[in-house]
Order: sequence, then structure tokens, then C-alpha cells
Amino acid sequence: MLPAGCGGRLAAALAAALGDGAERRRELERQAARGRALLGRWDAEDEERQKSDSSSSNGQESRPSPKELEELELLSRALAKALKVRKSIQKTSVEAQGVREGEKAANEGPAPKNAQVQQVPVSSEGVPVTTKVKAVSRKPTSSKKPSSYLLTAPYRTDPDVKKAHRKAPARCMSQAPRTAGKSSSKAVASKQARRHRLTISASNQEVCAAAESQKTDGLSKCGLLEQQSVSLGDSAGGKNLVAAGRQLFDTGKEGCGSLGGSSKKEDHTTEDALGRNSSPQADTLQEKGSRLKFPLPYRKAYSRNSRAWENCRLCQSSADAAAARNRFIERIQTTFCSPMPAFSPAEIEEEVKVLQNVPSLLSQCVEAEHADHPTLQREYESLLTLEGLQTIASQCLHKLQLLREAAESQMRLCPECTGDAGSCCSDSVPPWGQACGSTGVLAEPLLCYTSFQELRDLFALKMQVSMLNQEIAIQKTCREKERKPTTSGSLQVSCTSFCLVLLLFPLLKHALRNATIMCIPLSALLVRAVYGRLCAVLMHRVLRVH
Amino acid sequence: ARPAPDTLRRARFDRPQASSHCWRLLCSLLKQVHGGKWTEPDAIDIQIRFVKSVLWYHGYGRPELYRLPSDGSAGSRELLLAFSWLLHRISLLEQLLARNRVRTGDETSVCTCEDDLTNSQKGRTEIAPEYSLEDKVDVRYLQWLHGRLRFQWRSLHALHQEQSKLLHKIHLFTSGSHMDKILGHFSVTETELIRQPENYKQLLQFLESETMQLEAFLEWKQLEQVYWHWMVKTREEELQKEEFCAAARKTQEAVELKLLDLTYHCAPKKPKMHGSCRLVFRSKHSASKTGFGRSVSKEPISTVSATEVIRELQMRKASLERELKQLQEECRQRMDEIAEGLDGVICISP
Repeated sequence: MLPAGCGGRLAAALAAALGDGAERRRELERQAARGRALLGRWDAEDEERQKSDSSSSNGQESRPSPKELEELELLSRALAKALKVRKSIQKTSVEAQGVREGEKAANEGPAPKNAQVQQVPVSSEGVPVTTKVKAVSRKPTSSKKPSSYLLTAPYRTDPDVKKAHRKAPARCMSQAPRTAGKSSSKAVASKQARRHRLTISASNQEVCAAAESQKTDGLSKCGLLEQQSVSLGDSAGGKNLVAAGRQLFDTGKEGCGSLGGSSKKEDHTTEDALGRNSSPQADTLQEKGSRLKFPLPYRKAYSRNSRAWENCRLCQSSADAAAARNRFIERIQTTFCSPMPAFSPAEIEEEVKVLQNVPSLLSQCVEAEHADHPTLQREYESLLTLEGLQTIASQCLHKLQLLREAAESQMRLCPECTGDAGSCCSDSVPPWGQACGSTGVLAEPLLCYTSFQELRDLFALKMQVSMLNQEIAIQKTCREKERKPTTSGSLQVSCTSFCLVLLLFPLLKHALRNATIMCIPLSALLVRAVYGRLCAVLMHRVLRVH
Repeated sequence: ARPAPDTLRRARFDRPQASSHCWRLLCSLLKQVHGGKWTEPDAIDIQIRFVKSVLWYHGYGRPELYRLPSDGSAGSRELLLAFSWLLHRISLLEQLLARNRVRTGDETSVCTCEDDLTNSQKGRTEIAPEYSLEDKVDVRYLQWLHGRLRFQWRSLHALHQEQSKLLHKIHLFTSGSHMDKILGHFSVTETELIRQPENYKQLLQFLESETMQLEAFLEWKQLEQVYWHWMVKTREEELQKEEFCAAARKTQEAVELKLLDLTYHCAPKKPKMHGSCRLVFRSKHSASKTGFGRSVSKEPISTVSATEVIRELQMRKASLERELKQLQEECRQRMDEIAEGLDGVICISP
């Protein structure tokens, strides 16, 4: 059904549009990532970023890198939390472990809790967790750990195996002292946060179930190991636990990763919740946003810069300079070719752009006058409106005529500058409008919005307008013949359509007026109907040629 | 490469050695102003052609300039005259400063000019090589492409919504911190800068060099009259050399004035808002608290409220929707016509 050339053009247009859209999307995703990074926790992100360069591809190291250790810590926290959940479920059923439970409950002191604080927001950052998880999986795990790591943290070495299991990985981290150093007032907040986190993850049922079951399986295995290794003593137990721990990490990390990954979608709600629940000392933008300050060198540079802009904006040419300048301009313009065309190509383009919107506006107004008019007064009003529209149309037509003459004389003036024959803008000169510049703007204009709703509407509307523009361009490609649209082409076409409109307006209006005055309702209706139909046809034609 | 100050002096005396420098200078300046990306410097004749096109585009009417040779061997005085004319006509220096401004805010464009440009450029470019004119393209393939495009728009919409949420949060959380009280809050770039200053050393350098440029501009403004006097003298020297009779000049001036009158009369009426603006969040109650009265002592900066822009966008959207509907209606009518011509076939519209 489609002519061959048209199909190819359409396909090319669609493909180009898809390409543009993909670029836009990439840009948006990049910006969104920046925004999200800023809204998350700043210190955790800092550590990550510092260590991200010395990341996965480091290969075999005899000692685990700090990044590894951090990852281990985070995973262990996740597991510890899962363990706690499991414990709380199993509490009533497993009496034998009642004592240990009590101990554990008592021992849920600041240290492991602090350690868990960071787990909460970090796992909401789905991307970093998954990358960390991947990094972990790539590293070969060494079962032996130097004992220095085991003893770094100021944790009590406790024969309680479960606790030791939790703590052993905690001890492996170089960060542990730092973590412990954080205030214990976080404990309360972290509990709340964790509870909230659990609620949120509980709502994400599939993932949670999988993760929990994985963790539970792993943990039950660990439980057995722990039971066995209890008698072996601390150091050996520690090593075994670490090994078991690693096993757990392997099973648990998928859970953690998937938990993190799927909860990325809930980022926004999570972050909101976290924001509200975090303690005052939490290191997010929300807490300290209003206290932020530029670093000193930047502050100085910025103030100098803005003062300089202000001065430039306000400075005027001295009267002397302005006089000399005008004298020069006058003199040089006397040497221009005479007669100079009334409009420069830049001006022609600007005017045509404005005029291109006029037919659709006119048609809108004409359609509005289509309706039946009950009273004579209303009829008269409608006639006057149409008359006014006609005046406007003829003015625009006249302007169009002037523009066309100017365009033609400009092309005569400098034939080599015009590029393609019959087009006003040569390819070597991108249109001025593209640059969107207005003269003398040294002030940076501000776009102020007053609510989130407004901002959202603004973005949505801009996007809809872009989309509509694209759709229209594609539709036009559909029906385009061989001729390429050119500016002078559209000038020509506008002229013709306006002419048509103007020819018929007065005739019909006259007829209608007569009919109305003679109070012949039937014929008035008829005339109006004909008139309306003709207007519609004309307007269609006017629109079509664009 | 920056031209030496001496180049201008030599240009005044129409020294040929200065010509090619002047062409190159004008070319690089005009390329910046016309929004083009700086590519490899072209050959001199392409540069000359570009400069001539731009001058013609802005209405420069001296025929002597357009007659200059394309090898750049002559014409330094003509170029000097053209350069001075451009300085005034398009506020060349101000444009350069504004376009190259270091932007640290969350920029959003207020108009949809870039859309129009993309679409018109697409209309003008050649068909992509893989779709030759002769191939028949399956309609279903086109429908598939169109469907993909629509899906893409939907996902873009979601991304835009997320972006607006993130932006708003950042603006909200950092309210009250910016040293510039009119702005009030930080942008994404600025917040990142505070968080990790070491990543933004280059920004600092750009800012400092921009400040130096601005100070140079201020100095220029002080000395401007010297320049214009000098140019007038240049012009006078040239006039003395030419053999225009005074009467002919007077006639030209009169005609010029008449046409200027006409030009101003037909100027477009509404100055529309264009370009890129910095997004600033101002909640209603804070506006009344701080009171805009406090900033009355300063010159009012051009601000645009989102409400206005939204209104304009809505109008534009409505008119575009009308236009699209028209086009689709036409299409449908044509389809109907074609369908009528087919015997024994029932067409079911989607």
C-alpha cells in the first residue's frame, strides 16, 4: 500500500526517532543516578567510591582488600539480620537454645547493631550492592585469615558460637573500630530502621521468601557447624566459622543481591521512610542539606564570578561611545546595497516561524463561530468576529508578501550565500533560531517553580510537546511527496491559502448578512451551512499544505 | 590561536597579511555564536564561505565584502568593518559571554526550539543508506517500529517523573544553604561539588577564567569609545579614497532611513522566552516570608515562573494535538477512499 520511497523514508524517520529517544534515555538515567547518589548516605558512598577503583580485577591477593572486607561486613550484617528474624520465629519452638537466645538478646549491644546500621541504606542502593556482590563472587576466598583481623575489633571473645559467628566476619573488617566508634544512640534508630526495612522487604514477598529460605538453609547448616566447632576452641572455631560464613555468603549473597536489586524499585518509598526514621546524626542530604556550604576556594571563586557578571550586566556604554558607535553604523550602512531588502534573512526566518502558527489559530476561531447563533445579536457578533479575522488574515498575507519579496531580493544580493536554490537558509549557516539567543542577555534567567506538582507537570508537558512534534513530523513524512519542504516553499503555500480564504470570506459573509437581515430563517440556515462547510474545507486546505 | 593586537591595526590599513588571520578570527567567533560545535579548522575557502553566509544572514549589505576572494589574500579592512558592524548588530561580545557561560545549575530549556530543529533537520537529511528508495518496506515492520517508539516515550515519561522527584528533593533538602539568596538552594552539580570537591577542580578553573574574561569585558566597556572613534576614522579614510559624490550618499541615507522605519514597524510583537534557564525552587510560603521586596535594591533579574511556562506549553500542546488530529483524519480519509476501491474486501480499522 505504501509507495516504495515513502516506506523507506518512514522507516528512516522512525529509526532516527528511536535513536534520539535512546540518547535521551541514557542522559536521563545518568542524571537520575547522580541524583540518587546524592540522596543516599554520603559517607558509605564515599568509602565505596574510594575503594571502587581498587576493585574486582585485582586478582589474587594474600590479604583481603579493604573493599572485600567491607563487603564481607555488609553481607554478614544482612545475614545477621536474617538470623535474628529466624531466631525470633524459632524462639518459642526451640527451648534448648533459650539460654543462648537470652544471652544473645542481652548481648545485642551497640557493636553489632552499629554494624548493622549501615546495612540498611546500603542494601537499598541496589546497584552498589549487586556490584559488590558480584565482586565478592569473583574473588577467590581464602579460608585462612591472619589473626590480626580476628582481633581488631574491641569485641569480647565469647564462647557463644552464634554470636562469634556473627562477630567473626565483623572482626575481619578494618572498619569495625570505626563502626564501633559511632554513637550507640544509633541503636534505637537502627532498630526502627531495621524493623521498617523488614516490613518493606516483607512486602516484597517473592524475593524475601527466597532470600530468607536461602539464608535459613545456610544458617541451619551453620548451626550444625557451630555446634560441632564449639568444642574446638576459639581460634580454630573462628577459622571454621569463617569458612562456614563464606559458604553462607555464597548462598546468602544471592538473596542479598536480589533483595537489594528488587528493592531498588522501592528506593523512593524506602528512602522516604529511612529519611524519616534516621537519627539526626545520619549522614544524608536530608539531614545536613540546609547546613551545606561550598568549599572555601569555590566560594571565593563563585562570589568573584557572580559579582563580575552583575557588573557586566549593569554596565552601559558611555554616551560618548554610544554616539561614536552609532555614527559608525550609520556611515557603514550607507554603503550597503541600495535598496536594501526590508528584512534580513534572520528576520525573515523569525517572522515565518510566527506566521506558521497563524492558520491553525485562525481556523480555531472560525470553528468557534460555527455554532448556531440563537439571537440576532449573537449573529451580528459572530459576523463582526469573522470580519476581524479577515482583517488579520489579510494583514498576515500582506506581511507574507513583503517577506517573500525580501527573500527574493536577498537571494539576488548574494546568490552564493543561499546554498540550495530556493531555500532561505543555506546548510552552512545553521538558523539563528536554533541558538535560541536573545541579544544582551547577560543575566541567567531563572525558572521558578513552587511545588513538586508544578515541576512534574512541567517536565511531563515538555515531553508531551516533544512527542507530539515528533509524531507530526512522522505523519508529515507519510504524505510527503518528492519535494523537500523549504522555507520559500512554505511562504508560497501560505500565500496561496491565505488568498483563498480571503476571496471567499467577503462573498459568503455578504450573503449571510443579507439572509439574516431579511429574516428568512430557512435560507439563512442553508447559507450558514454552506458557508460553514466551505470554511472548513478552506481551513483544511490551509492546514494541509503545511 | 589568538591574533595579535597588531592584526587589527594592520587590517585598518588593509594589509594583506592580516586578511587570513581576520577571516579565521571571524569564523571561529561566529561558529561559537551560531551554536556549532568546533570542528577541525576547515580550509580557508570554507571558512570564508561560512563567514560570508553569516554576514548575509544578519543583513550585512556591503557588496565589497561578498566580492572578496576566497583564498583569503585580501580584504582585511573590509573584514574589520564587518567585524565592527557585527559587534553592534548582534552584540557579539555579550553573546559569546552568555553562550560560553559556566553553568552549575539544573538547566531546563523553556522553549521547544530544539525540537523544531531536530525535526526539520530530519526532514532535510538524506535517507539512511539501509533504506533505499527502491525497497518495499513491510507495513508491519513500520508498525513495530512505531510501537517501539511509543513504548520508548512511555519509559521516558517515567524517567522524567523520577528525575523531577529527585530534583525536587535535592532542592528541598538544600534550601537555605546557597550563598546567593536569590537562588536559595543548591543544584545537583553544586551538591556534588560540596560532597566531593576534588572532582570539580576543573570547574573551579573554568569559573576563574570566566571571571577574567568578564573583567576584560568590563575593561573593554571603559575603552569602547576609543575603539569606535578609531573605526569612524577608518571609515572616513575609506570614504576619502572612494569617489562617491555627496549627493548620492545623501540619497542612500534617506532611502536607508525610510526602510529602517518600515523594518521596525513590522517587527514581531511578542518577545518570547527562549533558551536555557536555571531551575530554582521557591515554595509559596517562603516567598512571602523573605519578601521579594528585599531584592528591590538590586536590579530585577529576569525570572520566569513555571506557571507561565506550563500555560504556554499547554497551549502549544493543544495546538499540536489539533494538528496531529487533522493529519490523522486526512490519513483516515485517504484510507477510506482506498478501501472503497477494493471490491469484496472488508477493512477493519484498528
